[in-house]
This record gives sequence, C-alpha cells and structure tokens, in this order.
Amino acid sequence: MTEEAQTAEAAEQDPRRERLAVAIGVAAWILPGFGHALQKMWGRALACFLTVGALVVIGAGMRGNLFTSDGGDAFASLGYIADLGAGGFYLVAKSLEVNGADVSRADGDYGTRFLAAAGVLNLLAALHAYEAARGRKA
Amino acid sequence: MFLHLSHFQAMVLFALAISVAFGFLSRRPPVERVKYILWSLLLFLLIGVGIGWMMYPFSR
Repeated sequence: MTEEAQTAEAAEQDPRRERLAVAIGVAAWILPGFGHALQKMWGRALACFLTVGALVVIGAGMRGNLFTSDGGDAFASLGYIADLGAGGFYLVAKSLEVNGADVSRADGDYGTRFLAAAGVLNLLAALHAYEAARGRKA
Repeated sequence: MFLHLSHFQAMVLFALAISVAFGFLSRRPPVERVKYILWSLLLFLLIGVGIGWMMYPFSR
C-alpha cells in the first residue's frame, strides 16, 4: 500500500479529521478558493477564486442562461446542478443578470457554457480541497 | 452589463481560465505549473480551431 493510500485510510479511521475534511469541502464549494485558503494553499485559493469568478462574471455578462430549480426537463436539471456548483457565485451571477438571459445570440449561448463550467470547476476544486484535507498528497 | 465577444475571444478566455485552474490544482512547483498552463492553453486553442475547421465543410 502506498503512503498516500495509508494516509487516506488513516483519515477514514479518524472521524474528527474526516468531519474537518467534509467541512473544508463544503466551505470550498460555498466560497471558491476558501477550502484551499483554510489549508494555507494561498496560490490555489487565489487561482480558484479568480478563475471561477471570471467565468461567472463573463458568463453573466454575456447573458448566459442561469438555470433554476424549476427547469422542467433533465437537461435543465443537470444545468441547474452545474450552475449550483459555483456556490455563492451562483447568487452573484443571478444579481448580475438583471435583464435575464438572452440565448437568441451566440453570446448568450456561450455565456451559458461559461456559467456551467464555473460550477463544475468549483466542484472539482472543492473535491481537491477535501482530498487535501484528508491527507492525500496534493 | 452585456459583453460582446467574438467566438475566438470567448474561446481564448475560456481556455485561459480553465488552463490556469487546472495548472494550479494539478501541479505544485511554479515552473511545472507555468509549463502545464501554457501547454494546456495551446492544446485547447489548437484543438478548438482544428475542430472548427473540421466543421467548415458542413457549415453551408
């Protein structure tokens, strides 16, 4: 067994560390970069915050479609999950889109992808922060 | 607020943001990060433009 796997297994056996890792993962989801900042990974924290923030601002600026919970079909539900991945920045995007989405232009369609990518990227970063908190080499 | 970006500008911004995030998350030494970011950005752009050209015959 590798050292990395042993550390992860040790974390599973230590409930306190596991709970802390989950809390860090949730914090990273709510505020992009916060999970890494809590672990003093300043470069990663800043990179996550800025990239997710930039994708959200550009996506909302291009009037991308920000999905809501009452989407109606499977694609809308998946889009909602992806958008929600941005955590607190979902609300930022909502507040920026005062005139609503406009997907009749290519800009709006691209904006939708930017918003979804921001959410998925933040979920990936939150998972990374969670794994790092469990002791996995990051 | 309404941003008007060309297809290429949108692709470059998207590729840049994703490359930077991936570079910081997957590599720790600064030189490795920069290499990864540049390589990833280049591949994003080359593959994006390549797929665009592949679709050209069907665009009209």
